[in-house]
Amino acid sequence: MPSRFWPSCPVPRGYCFVIEIKNVSKSFDQGKSFAVQNVSLHVQQGEALILLGSSGCGKTTTLKMINRIIEPTSGSIYVDGTNVLEQDPVSLRRCIGYVFQGIGLFSHLTVEENVEIVPRLLGWPRDKRRERARFLLELMEISPIAYGRRLPQALSGGQKQRIGVARALAADPDYLLMDEPFGALDALTRDALQQELLAIKQKLNKTIIFVTHDIFEALTLADRIAVLHKGRLEQVGTKEEVLENPASPFVRDLFAKPTEQLAAFRRASP
Amino acid sequence: MTGSWIPFVYNRLPELWLRIGEHILLTGISTSLAILIGIPLGILANQVRGLRGILLSTVGVLQTIPSLAMLAILLALLQKIGVVPAITALTLYALLPIVRNTYTGLEAIPPEMAEAALGIGMTPGQQLWLVKLPLALPMIIAGIRTAVVVNVGIATLSAFIGAGGLGQFINRGLALSNTRLILLGAVPAGILALFVDFSIATAGWGLHPARKTEYGLRKTILRITALSLPFTLFILGVIAYSTGLTKTSVTVAGESSVPQAIVRIGTKNFTEQFILGEMMAQLIEARTGLSVERKFNLGGTMICHGSLISGGIDIYPEYTGTGLTAILQKKMVSDPDSVLPIVREAYQERFQVKWLFPFGFNNTYAITVRKMDANQHNWHTISDLASAASGLRAGFTGEFAERPDGYPGIIREYGFQFGSIQDLDPAILYEAIARNQVDVICAFATDGRITAYQLQPLKDNRNVFPPYHCAPVIREKTLKKYPEISDALQPLAGILDNETMQRLNYEVDERKRMPKKVAEEFLRKHVLLDH
Repeated sequence: MPSRFWPSCPVPRGYCFVIEIKNVSKSFDQGKSFAVQNVSLHVQQGEALILLGSSGCGKTTTLKMINRIIEPTSGSIYVDGTNVLEQDPVSLRRCIGYVFQGIGLFSHLTVEENVEIVPRLLGWPRDKRRERARFLLELMEISPIAYGRRLPQALSGGQKQRIGVARALAADPDYLLMDEPFGALDALTRDALQQELLAIKQKLNKTIIFVTHDIFEALTLADRIAVLHKGRLEQVGTKEEVLENPASPFVRDLFAKPTEQLAAFRRASP
Repeated sequence: MTGSWIPFVYNRLPELWLRIGEHILLTGISTSLAILIGIPLGILANQVRGLRGILLSTVGVLQTIPSLAMLAILLALLQKIGVVPAITALTLYALLPIVRNTYTGLEAIPPEMAEAALGIGMTPGQQLWLVKLPLALPMIIAGIRTAVVVNVGIATLSAFIGAGGLGQFINRGLALSNTRLILLGAVPAGILALFVDFSIATAGWGLHPARKTEYGLRKTILRITALSLPFTLFILGVIAYSTGLTKTSVTVAGESSVPQAIVRIGTKNFTEQFILGEMMAQLIEARTGLSVERKFNLGGTMICHGSLISGGIDIYPEYTGTGLTAILQKKMVSDPDSVLPIVREAYQERFQVKWLFPFGFNNTYAITVRKMDANQHNWHTISDLASAASGLRAGFTGEFAERPDGYPGIIREYGFQFGSIQDLDPAILYEAIARNQVDVICAFATDGRITAYQLQPLKDNRNVFPPYHCAPVIREKTLKKYPEISDALQPLAGILDNETMQRLNYEVDERKRMPKKVAEEFLRKHVLLDH
């Protein structure tokens, strides 16, 4: 497929598409409590970075600071080599695909209209964005003919989440931020969607930051995993690194149980 | 009395048509204005936290003002009668449901959709237009439905200030104690409310997002029809109004095609005033080239006087005693002959309004009881009531209860009070005493129902009530412009004594004849119309 349909982002791009998070903190009550404390991360082009942690660890806050839904208290975030605080938040958000925790499909718009909303905001011509919406629906294995003109209410949870992903991809952004997108789905659907996401990542070469509390999901999708705990970054590394060389007792314990379970399964199998 | 409904309604069809048109216009225009103002206010309340409390409580307070009081306040503020204060009042009433529902609808946006709208890269304006308002639409439409149904109801009251509409029938029916006329206004108003509500609900159905998922010619036609229903209704109203207007103005303007000068005659809200108004109107129509606009049944003294001063009307029949005490706020004068010169001079000076010659009768207040009671207790004068007063239930008009020369005058001069006072509309005073609901009323000395209901006026032996000789009051400006009015009305001078007036009132109140017919008959009898 063509690498870019239409100018999706007015910001001039560097050679290397990266997201860089430098010493970022988000505090409340005049610095008395921290949602995120002194986190630094570096995401490479085409990489899937998983933000892993239990609820309240600051992973969603970190994600939302990247497209300025939340403003950091201190530190800086660079997208395409430019500080996000120096970018217009509206155009910044339009060139970063975002899949929301609650999906947030617009119930008054049809499936097609939902998918083509960002291209519409960017002023793509009608036939161009319709064509794009149909392509993405096909890609997400939702028939545009059967479902394109229906309202999201008529769809199952898994279908809705596929459309959420299609909507995030619509303007062909280089980045995809995903906030526990598959959390509310049953295990089978979740597995299927995870495999699809891997395929899409391969095909479309997107840089993805993916938030989850599910260790298996993290291990399935990750190029690298960043473990957050109580607002602090515990460790960043490949699956092997976090599994074999945990940087802290917390990380070791986090993976210990599933690893033990896996070992138990191995012993049990002939 | 219970004769056929068919000729009754049939004879009034052209007017009914006109009134329905007026009613739709009043409601339609005011609701549209309320939508134009209310939705932005609701958005403002949602977006600007600091304004929310003030906005919502202000429109809430507006709603609590009783409709009649609202009309009276606007009458005073705008110095006008007619359509402008009526539409203003209706717009204010329609605001609350629209503002509140817009606000509530916007507050109730599911948080995940609001987050998506923001995170996807919508500007605040796009979040509002593309997501929040469409999602709040069903709620807003529910608000509009409430507003429009309330307005169809309240619009019946705007007839009180000469704005027309179906209330005109209700009003006239109340004043003439004619149930059929009341129903002629009330029933169409009720049906209209149902229709209007249905049309908005249907438009809401047409706007529902689910319609986007339905295809085919039939569905499209159905949807367009649904969406246009409220507008169709409004356009029907405009047609009814304009065709009704031309039909009625034909009878007023006669054969002359030249646009004619118009004299507006107003009256208060009771039978005698309608008859006098009609007599003046018919004489002016017959004897001058002027055409007459009848703004009858405006309300009480203050409303009539206010309209006269502000130029909303040119003439209305007023009573010398009312002018002296209620308008000029002067002390009562017991010498009957000195009242007219006093008011004449003061009106000239203060209001540039002229008192023409009196009609002849003296329609003073009369404390009135049932003839049976009067005979039994030997009551002849008001003083005779002193010992029994505390056990008597009185029914007074609001005006009588407040005026210094009304009930307060009785308390002061006779030194007693009645056991209970009930505020009653002039239209139901007589019925109330005849049916034993009250024992004493403030009747008018010329009222035809005094004899009809076997009532007995008591003599005002301490001269509390000043003389109430009735005469036309007219703006000097009008008189200067059309001096022929004075000549045209001259024949009415002194022609109506108390008994004559009582008889004419009886014809209308009891025999349910139209004031217009009764006035015409009287004028013909005295050969005044064939000029």
